Amino acid sequence: MPKQKLSPLPSAAFQILLALVGEDLHGYGIMRNVAQQTEGRMRLGPGTLYSSIRALLEEELIEEVDHPRDPSARDERRRYYRLTSSGRKLARSEAERLADLLRVARSKNILRGDYV
Amino acid sequence: MSEVIFCLLFQLYPSHFRQEYGDEALQLFRDRTHNETGLWPSVRLWFDLLADLVISLPREYCYKRPDIATAPAKTCLNGTPTFFVFDTASPGRRPLLLGGLLSLITLVSFPRLMNEFGNFRPPSGWSFASPGAYERQGGDPQRPASGSEQGVQSPRGANPTLDATSRHRIIASAIASIKQHHIDPLEAQKAADALLAHERQGDDDSATSTEEFTRLATKQMREATGDHQLELLYSPRAIPERPSGPPPALPTAYRDEMRRVNCAFERVEILPHNVGYLKLNAFPDTSVCQATATAAMAKLNDVDALIFDLRDNRGGFPSMVSLIAAYLFDHPEYMYCPLENTTAESWTHSPVPGNKLANKPVYILTSPRTISAAEEFTYDLKMLKRATLVGETTAGANHAANLHAIGDNFYVATVEVRAINPYSKYNWNDTGVDPDFKVRAPDALTAALRLVDKRLHVE
Repeated sequence: MPKQKLSPLPSAAFQILLALVGEDLHGYGIMRNVAQQTEGRMRLGPGTLYSSIRALLEEELIEEVDHPRDPSARDERRRYYRLTSSGRKLARSEAERLADLLRVARSKNILRGDYV
Repeated sequence: MSEVIFCLLFQLYPSHFRQEYGDEALQLFRDRTHNETGLWPSVRLWFDLLADLVISLPREYCYKRPDIATAPAKTCLNGTPTFFVFDTASPGRRPLLLGGLLSLITLVSFPRLMNEFGNFRPPSGWSFASPGAYERQGGDPQRPASGSEQGVQSPRGANPTLDATSRHRIIASAIASIKQHHIDPLEAQKAADALLAHERQGDDDSATSTEEFTRLATKQMREATGDHQLELLYSPRAIPERPSGPPPALPTAYRDEMRRVNCAFERVEILPHNVGYLKLNAFPDTSVCQATATAAMAKLNDVDALIFDLRDNRGGFPSMVSLIAAYLFDHPEYMYCPLENTTAESWTHSPVPGNKLANKPVYILTSPRTISAAEEFTYDLKMLKRATLVGETTAGANHAANLHAIGDNFYVATVEVRAINPYSKYNWNDTGVDPDFKVRAPDALTAALRLVDKRLHVE
């Protein structure tokens, strides 16, 4: 099996997968969701955004859709992307990997407070 | 304005990326500029874009498309080489223009560099008229440029500076050479006297460069003698002396080349309205090409008018000039040739038995490439009012003078034959032969056909 391009999953790609959970979005929508979910720390520029989208499409982790789930959000000029089941699985496993890391970090008492 | 800047920046991405996501990226930019107004958001937007450019640009150029990256190596089809194409789109106008420009510069600079730094000379087989022709009799192929071509005598900056002593030495050597080689001792004396008189009067004092001095001395000699072949030249590269004695036999390569190109008779055709058309690219040696020439003229024997296309004629042998010209007269006619002493052979062997071309109108197409023997043919027929010339002025080179080294890389060109020119004081050397009807060389055939048509129609 050929080595996957997204192994390990880059941060931008993971954020895009997370942004697409539950809704179909166009490029700018993804960028805005990523900025929101990272509290403005990650603002994807067009180069990074679309090269990540292309990699995710090639790995069939997301797909392009003609009609977004939310008809009111539909704009004919734009391309919409949707998370595939394998994309969801990968996002979940990545989240679990990060959760494991978090548990380790907690056990090492390197985090202040217990809000994370 | 900001959109234009963004588009320009986006042009830095590879074409496949631009084609696939160009519209979307622009839309994203528009969305951000629309929603992120004010100074700080604008600054942040441009910072994001530039940072993204720096990060993503190298990655995009390293990106391998899966259809190419995973494609199996192509096998050769019947041994034909195959190529992978990394871009499906045709190159745009800009890369094509740049590529074309670059190729042009390379093409132009390559021969120039070869000329400047190398000592490249094409093999003799490349030339139609090699030995025995105007070129050999007129001196060595490495003969330095003369007349209007003097600017190429030597690389810029390589010429030595001349003082009074060196000028005097050169003048003395030149006089000795002229007296030894010039065909007319009286003319030689006149040239010598002129050189010495001008030197005494201090006319040469300002000529400190070789170029200036050769030009000045040549002018002085020509004014005194009226001999426009007499010339003082300088060449930074040594020119070997032409071996004395009879010319060597024609090399086999020349014979083979002539056979290959049908003795330079490129086209022998009869055009509509019974107009004969002969495209002749050289005047080859008669010992090799007489049969071809005779056959060509026989084919054209019944035409009502004849066009000689000499626009690409690179010269050759006076014997062939005379042989072809013989068909155009019904009596022996003198063909002035600056290469040879005037003898009985200077007259054409006219009339040619069975020939019907002697009284037919003749047109000659000329161009700046028409040179040497082709100019003799053109000049003589023009002077004899036997042909109408259509096209551009010819090259202006008769290659009649021989070069003699006089030391310090200076050479004297002298004519060593006594050829009578009954037509004019000067021949075509330097000036070329002017056409009767001046048209661009590429349009000469059309113009000549129009003239033929008019003439035949009127008659």
